[in-house]
Amino acid sequence: MKRSAAAAGTGLVAAALLPLVLGPYHVHVLTVALYYVVLASSWNLLAGYTGLFSLAHHVFAGIGAYTSALLVIHTGVPIPAGVAAGAAVACAAGFALGSVTLRLRMLYLALATWAFAESTRVAVSMEYGITRGDLGLAVPTLFRGPSPTPYYELFLACAAAAVAGMVWLLRSPIGYRIRAIRDDEGAARAAGINTVRWKRFAFAAASGAAGAAGALYGHYIGLLSPVSMQFDEMALIIIMVILGGQRTIAGPVIGAVSVEVVSEGLRAYGQIRMVIFALLVLGLMRLYPPGLVGLLRAAAARLPRGGVAASATNSAP
Amino acid sequence: MDSTLLAQYALAGLVIGAIYCLMAVGITFIYSVVRMINWAMGEFYMIGGYVQYLLIESWLGPQHWYLALPLAACSVALLGMGVQRVLLRPMFTGTLERLDEYATIVTIALTVLLRNLAIVIFGPYQFSPPDYANPVQLGPLPLNGSRFVAFVGAVVLLALFAFVIRRTWFGLALRAVAQNRLGAVAAGINLGRIDMLAFGIGVGLAGAAGALLAPVFLVFPQSGALSTVKGFEIIVIGGLGSLPGAIAGGLLLGLVESLGSVLLSPSFRDVYGFGALLLILVLRPTGLWGERAREA
Repeated sequence: MKRSAAAAGTGLVAAALLPLVLGPYHVHVLTVALYYVVLASSWNLLAGYTGLFSLAHHVFAGIGAYTSALLVIHTGVPIPAGVAAGAAVACAAGFALGSVTLRLRMLYLALATWAFAESTRVAVSMEYGITRGDLGLAVPTLFRGPSPTPYYELFLACAAAAVAGMVWLLRSPIGYRIRAIRDDEGAARAAGINTVRWKRFAFAAASGAAGAAGALYGHYIGLLSPVSMQFDEMALIIIMVILGGQRTIAGPVIGAVSVEVVSEGLRAYGQIRMVIFALLVLGLMRLYPPGLVGLLRAAAARLPRGGVAASATNSAP
Repeated sequence: MDSTLLAQYALAGLVIGAIYCLMAVGITFIYSVVRMINWAMGEFYMIGGYVQYLLIESWLGPQHWYLALPLAACSVALLGMGVQRVLLRPMFTGTLERLDEYATIVTIALTVLLRNLAIVIFGPYQFSPPDYANPVQLGPLPLNGSRFVAFVGAVVLLALFAFVIRRTWFGLALRAVAQNRLGAVAAGINLGRIDMLAFGIGVGLAGAAGALLAPVFLVFPQSGALSTVKGFEIIVIGGLGSLPGAIAGGLLLGLVESLGSVLLSPSFRDVYGFGALLLILVLRPTGLWGERAREA
C-alpha cells in the first residue's frame, strides 16, 4: 500500500509538471481527459462498487453546469460559489432520483435513470427561455486568458481529490457497506446495514462529484448546450469505465485518459471519427473479451511487483 | 374541451402506443431468451425507418408501400442476426456462464457506431417518405392514413408474434430457452441458433416499428434515442419479461403523451412518459403488475 501511494504521488507530481513540456492543445486534451476521470471514477463508485447501474451520470454533470452558469449570470455570485451551488443541486437531484428508484435493481434502475436523463435533456432544450436551448448558453470563464494550463492544474487537483476520496471511502466502513449492498442487498440488510441510507448516499455522493466537475467544465469551455446531455456522453463514460476495469481504482483513470486521447487523436478524420472509435471498441471486445482491464492484468501478472497500474489494479478489493 | 377532439387525441395516442408496444415487446423478448438488454434497440428502429424511406423513394415508389414494410423489417432482422452471430455470441463462455459486461459494452458501442454511421452516410438531415395511404374515417373520427397503417401493422405483427410464441414448435423452443437454458440443451435445442433467431426477431420488431412510423415521425440519425427510452419506460411500467405488461404499458404511454400534449403543452410530449413512470414508481413501487422484487 505504501508503494502504491508513493507511486501515485510521483505520478501526480509528474502530471502536474506536464504543461511545461506540452503545447496548449495537448494540455487542453488532457484537461478534458481529467474531467472524464472525475465522471468515470464517480460513476464507478455508483455502478461498480454499489451496483447501481445509473445511466443519468452525464445529466448530473449537466445539472451542475447549468445551475452554476445560470446563478453566475443572473445573480452575479462569484464562480466558486456557483460551482458549489451546482454541486449541491446535483447532489440533491441525485438523492431524489436515488430515493425514487430505491426499489429498482439492475436493469430496471438503468432503464428508469435513462428515462430521467432523456426527459431532463428534452426539458433543458425546450425551456429555451431560461437555458437558451440548443443555441447554447455562453458561460463566464473561471480564469482570464486563453491558456488551458491553470484549468489543467485545477482539474488535476479535482481528479486527484476524486480518486483519493474513492480510496478513502472504499477503505472506510462505508466502503464495506456499499460493497455488501452490491453483492447481496438482502444479506446486507440482514447484517444490519441501512441499505436505504447508503444507496441514497452513493447516489448523492457520485452525483455531487459529477455536478462539481460539470460546473467547472462549463466555466472552462464557456459554452453549455443540451448536446452534453445526450446518451453518447453516457456511452463514453461507460466505455471508459468498463474498458479500464470496473471495481478498480485505476481502471476508470486509465480508461478515461486513454479513451479521450484516442478519440481526440481520431479528430483528424472528422465526421467519421466516432465510427472508427466505436469500431475500435467493438474490435477490442470481440477479439479480446476481457478488454483493456484483462490486458493490464495479464501484463501485471508478467511483471511481478512492477508498475503503478499493476499495483493499483491489484490492491483494489 | 370538446369531447370529440379529446377522443381524437386519445385515438392518436393509442395508435402511437401500439407502435411503442412493438419496441417494448422486442426488448422484453430479447431479454427473456438471450438474457441481455439490447441498448442499441433504437438504432435498429432508426435503420428500419431509413430502409423504408429508401425503398419507397428510390425503388418501389409510394404505391408499393405494403412491399416496403416487410422488406424493411426483414432486412433489419437479418442485420440483427448477423450482429448477434458475429459480435454477441462470445458473451456466452459456456452454456450458462456469460460475461455480463460484454453485452452491455458491445451494444452501447453499437449505438455509437450505427448513429454516427447514419450521420456519415445520410447526413444530419431529416427525411420522411410521402403519406402513402388515404385518410380513413373511424366512426366520427378521421384518422391519418399512415397512422392507420401503422396501427394495423403493429396489431398484425403483435398477433403474429403471439401466435408463433404460443402455438408453434419454434415458439415452444424459445419459451424453453427462456425458462431454462440448460434444460433446453438437454432437450436437444440448438442454443446458438435460437439466440441468433431471437435477437433477429427482437430487433426486427424494432425495425418494423421504425418502418411503420417513417411517414408519421421523421427519419434522422438520432431518432433511435427517444424510441429506445420509450421502450424502456414501458418496460419499467409493465415489467421485464411480461408480454401483457409491455402491451398495456405501451398503450398507456401513448395515451399519456397524447393527452398530455393537448391538455398541457405539446413541446414537452417526451417528458410526460417519465412523469407517468415517476407516478407509478411512487404510488405502486412494484410496477403495474406488482412483482414483489424487481430484480433483473
